[in-house]
Amino acid sequence: MILQARKGGPPPIEVRGLRKVFRQATSGQAVVAIDRLDLTIAPREVVAIVGQTGCGKSTFFDLMIGLEAPSEGTLRIGDKSPHANFDHFRGRIATVFQQDRLLPWRSALDNAKLPLELIGLPEAEQRERALTWLKRLGLGQFTNAYPHELSGGMRQRVAIARAFSVQPDILLADEAFGHLDEVTAAELRETFLALARECGSTAILITHQLEEAIGVGDRIVVFGKSAKLLADIHVARWPKSKHALLREAIQSTLQSNKPDPRLRRAKKTRAAPSARRAATGR
Amino acid sequence: MPHDEIRESAPVLTFPRQAFVSLLVFAIVWETLSHLAPYLGIPPFAIPSFVRIAQSLADITPIDIAVTLARVIAALIASFVLGVSLAMAMYRSDSLDKYLHPMIRILMAVPVVSWILFAVLWFPGVEFRICFVLVVVCGPVFLVDTLDAMRGVPRELRTMMQSFRPTTPQYFVKLMLPAIVPTIFTSWKVNISLAIRVVTIAELVGAVTGIGHQLSVAQELFSVADVFAWTLVLVTLLFLLEAVVARVETRMLRWRT
Repeated sequence: MILQARKGGPPPIEVRGLRKVFRQATSGQAVVAIDRLDLTIAPREVVAIVGQTGCGKSTFFDLMIGLEAPSEGTLRIGDKSPHANFDHFRGRIATVFQQDRLLPWRSALDNAKLPLELIGLPEAEQRERALTWLKRLGLGQFTNAYPHELSGGMRQRVAIARAFSVQPDILLADEAFGHLDEVTAAELRETFLALARECGSTAILITHQLEEAIGVGDRIVVFGKSAKLLADIHVARWPKSKHALLREAIQSTLQSNKPDPRLRRAKKTRAAPSARRAATGR
Repeated sequence: MPHDEIRESAPVLTFPRQAFVSLLVFAIVWETLSHLAPYLGIPPFAIPSFVRIAQSLADITPIDIAVTLARVIAALIASFVLGVSLAMAMYRSDSLDKYLHPMIRILMAVPVVSWILFAVLWFPGVEFRICFVLVVVCGPVFLVDTLDAMRGVPRELRTMMQSFRPTTPQYFVKLMLPAIVPTIFTSWKVNISLAIRVVTIAELVGAVTGIGHQLSVAQELFSVADVFAWTLVLVTLLFLLEAVVARVETRMLRWRT
């Protein structure tokens, strides 16, 4: 059964004292993109990371993928580093980007098959899995269509099918729905979330849209400058009626680059169901 | 899916009327001039009539066409393999690129005539001489085009591919090669035209077969009709080869239509 949740579940993500420094090509000046970040993400949690432009969200995303090495500190998934143990995570980490990033010479089916080809599954299984995911995402009629024949929403669905096709432990989404119209984005967000839960994957969504973060995340992590952790919010602690207040508080945190007092107060309330679910792996 | 729609495109085929008219006008002017030549003080052999050219065309020896075609195709394949292989190596290794890039630029700046002279002085064998000239002229074009195309693969696609952690061969086979296919076809079209011109010049020196040799014979016999006929053959050959490449291109790049 293809859509079964993984046995054993994904490993936890531990970030300790993470620092990433880039050197500017022209001036040679050091730019601190991430400065001593500590963060723990439990298995199967859905975490939304919000922050202003240039706060280090995308650098964190690249570090999570393993394309960049930390300058200092550690980022470990289970007991392995996504950069140092790059090949170990083949088929275990999948990404959805802001643009669909489909290969234009491949049909929807072949694009969805791509990660399965890379992990070396038999051809018949690749096809079956990719078809299943495309159908799940409402693209059963368009499996042979090339990307340029599809609308933006359909292309993003193919990109989501491509990410889910390997049933990854960790799903990373970088502003994955930000460029779509509101109705399509909301629809895709819901689908993404439902599929992530069904797959039993840990999902990390990077977004600048607070509505999206509140609507999707079990947790919202607010990054300040150089990925300084300004707030770590368990959304379930905030009843739906207080979501407007939560939005305001995050907005104020982002603008002032320091935690809004309203967010601290919420921490003292009872343990969140989402946190419990994450901790128990359910 | 209320927000989704399939986009469609339809190919448009039109008769090349303008091209046909311009060729017809040229043929009429040529034929008129060939008849008026004696009255204009032009030697009769300089502008032969189409009847005389047709006679020359009837005397064309297919073996010379086959030999030239074989030389062009063999040299183009050798240039392509060499050019693409070196381009891939240079893409992978910055230091190799730094060493080879200036050399490639110098090779590309050397005139074809110089290469032919070098070849005549260096190599006794005619076939190797012609192949050398073609490879040294066409190879760098394949190399530079391929390297540029690989560097032009969008960063977004490269990052996406890397995020799925391919092996190096998978990275090249599944991303780089398909991404550079359109450029490779353009490169083939440019090189076919280049090779047809270069092979003719190379065959002028020392070859005893091929279209270049026949052109040399025609020049010695002051036969403009023969030169015209062999030139027509060369142009037709070029168009045929381009048509073959265009057909393969259409098949392989059908995703673009």
